[in-house]
Amino acid sequence: MADIICDGKTTRDINAEIKRLIANGETDICMRNPVARHNLGVAILQSVKLTFDGSVGYYCAGMVDGPTVEIKGSAGWGLAESMMGGTVTVEGNAGNGAAASIRGGTVVVHSDAASRLGVSMKGGLIIVGGNCGYMAGFMAQRGTMIVCGDTGEAFADSMYEAVCFVGGNIAELGNDAIIEQPTAEDLTFLESTLSQHLPSRVGNSQAPIRNFKKVVSGRKLWNFDKDERSVWREAL
Amino acid sequence: MPDKSDYLRTSGTFTPDIIEDIQVKAELGRYRIRGFGTLRERRWATFDDLTFIPCTLTRIPLEGYRERCSPKTLLGTRFAEKPIELEVPIMITGMSWGALSYNAKVALAKGANIVGSSNTTGDGGMLMAEREHSRTLIYEVLPSRYGIDVHHLQMADGIELTIGQGAKPGTGGLLLGSKVLDTVAEQRDLPLGVDQRSPARHPDFLGPDDMIIKIEELREATDWQVPIFVKMGATRVFDDVKLAAKAGADVIVVDGMEGGTGASAEICQEHTGVPTLAAVCEARAALEDLGLYGEVQLIIAGGIRHGVDAAKAMALGADAVYIGTAGLMALNCNKPIHVEDYHELGTEPYHCHHCHTGRCPVGITTQDPDLMKRLDIDEAAERVANLLQAMTSEIQILARACGKADVHDLDPEDLRALNLEASMICGIPLVGTNRVFGGGPGWKERE
Ligand SMILES: Cc1cc2nc3c(=O)[nH]c(=O)nc-3n(C[C@H](O)[C@H](O)[C@H](O)COP(=O)(O)O)c2cc1C
Ligand code: SF4
Repeated sequence: MADIICDGKTTRDINAEIKRLIANGETDICMRNPVARHNLGVAILQSVKLTFDGSVGYYCAGMVDGPTVEIKGSAGWGLAESMMGGTVTVEGNAGNGAAASIRGGTVVVHSDAASRLGVSMKGGLIIVGGNCGYMAGFMAQRGTMIVCGDTGEAFADSMYEAVCFVGGNIAELGNDAIIEQPTAEDLTFLESTLSQHLPSRVGNSQAPIRNFKKVVSGRKLWNFDKDERSVWREAL
Repeated sequence: MPDKSDYLRTSGTFTPDIIEDIQVKAELGRYRIRGFGTLRERRWATFDDLTFIPCTLTRIPLEGYRERCSPKTLLGTRFAEKPIELEVPIMITGMSWGALSYNAKVALAKGANIVGSSNTTGDGGMLMAEREHSRTLIYEVLPSRYGIDVHHLQMADGIELTIGQGAKPGTGGLLLGSKVLDTVAEQRDLPLGVDQRSPARHPDFLGPDDMIIKIEELREATDWQVPIFVKMGATRVFDDVKLAAKAGADVIVVDGMEGGTGASAEICQEHTGVPTLAAVCEARAALEDLGLYGEVQLIIAGGIRHGVDAAKAMALGADAVYIGTAGLMALNCNKPIHVEDYHELGTEPYHCHHCHTGRCPVGITTQDPDLMKRLDIDEAAERVANLLQAMTSEIQILARACGKADVHDLDPEDLRALNLEASMICGIPLVGTNRVFGGGPGWKERE
């Protein structure tokens, strides 16, 4: 394992050092004391392990495809945005727009996620152990979002084919979001996914798997229909 | 028998156009959507309200054959390791694969390449064929992030962070279900046939402070190699350009109200934004105010029709122009061929603005394989190349006449305003007066 001591280094220095180590064949790199610097570990395309030994700023692990990233603190805005593959785990909280527009991979937030979680997600898996803020899943296209705790308002607004599961309360459903009964396969999937990524949460069973609600698109906003006036009054 | 005009009265308020609009909406139940860009009669000041004042005795013109007038264009000299070098100052703007057919996208890429110009991706990601055929390809990062792919981002020669477009500032993109088919739907991760309406805001930043960090992210993702453009629709141009420059853009693209679109709410095309003439003046003043004019390059778009518009935009401060609609016209948009299909759409050649329908009679804005076949890629690419070359030669002849050995040396002193409005907007003397009437935000008298 290689260490990068981040103190006194710029984002550019740290990222260049990560890329240099990867180019030299290093597969396990720990960034010590990242002091919430922005844009750390962006666009890493190799299956390496990156550990941030503290909190990180905006866009950490943005646009990655392949690495396993662990953040031993909290993350700022746009965590793992537009990622295509790999796993990004945050032990603390995540700021606005976490996992926005991801196309693949897995983003795990042990504690809470702020607003706009998984906005425009196009694939992949998002798991939040705690609560999430408003507008989570807005216009989400594909992929799966699991929030073990409560959600904010406008949850799953104007979605396409993404599927959401919520263990706690939904403050308000977004436009065209509907609650469905999870299937037996859904419950099995939740059980195995949560025990893989969030074992402690499943263990304390704050949200028993059978209580999870499934939220999908009502598909009324997919094509304009003038007879659905009340729906479109909000949406257009 | 009295002539009809003796007794027929037309309301100045409820004109036939307005009556038709009300009746269409009474059927439709929503705002009207169409493509093309504004159709309004141009009653505002435009580039046509300026004239060049070439050399006579106070200055010496350059000879056509012998004396060079360089059109070479350099963009992104501020922070990027590899600025973009083009042979001509006219570039092909971002138009999405989805709005445009595959054939149209590839023809534009090939045509631009022939003359050393550039091509831009669009809302829907990169088409591999356009990468293969473009020496210089700019990759758009839009609010929708449709097709966003870090591998494609890293293949680009420039990144364009798009905040908005001139035809519809403040709103997201639209692609009606008739065009969200097969591979287009797949690349955008959308269900087949949905009326796609993309977000107006980026999913991971909101204001200019966050954008500073976003731009740094894009630089880190591309190792600081390629220039970062910021594209905006023209609204509060003086302030917005300053904010984009302060946020670290290498190149700023300002798209005026006359800008084209594949599909948008009609009222946005007709009633939002600032005309391109005013936009270029405000943008230049903003960069001058920051002391960044020349260091941050300016690209102007929106209704650029020929080399004259381009030359005037450049004299007013642009380093290059983007063309969209004019490029489509080189591909045959609105040409009187397949006339029966224009009629089927309820229109005529020279009047068509039906890009949103997906039934483009000449195979440009369609995903229908039969219609697309009407656009022969190589022939169309030749026409695009010819147009870019012709427009460049128009800029050069004006620049030579003004005694300039480089098209970028054209400046406001080479222009006079033909009316008061143009003088007020541009801060350029009115013909016959040698007086400047006005000047927009940040305008300063030149020594
Ligand atoms: C068919 C069509 C599709 C367009 N698609 C996009 C797009 O995907 N992204 C974008 O930023 N602008 C898009 N635009 C706007 C152009 O990039 C550009 O701003 C505008 O067309 C310039 O005006 P002009 O067409 O008058 O030259 C599109 C324009 C047209 C005509
Ligand atoms: S001819 Fe095709 S590209 Fe041109 S306006 Fe009509 S539909 Fe649009």
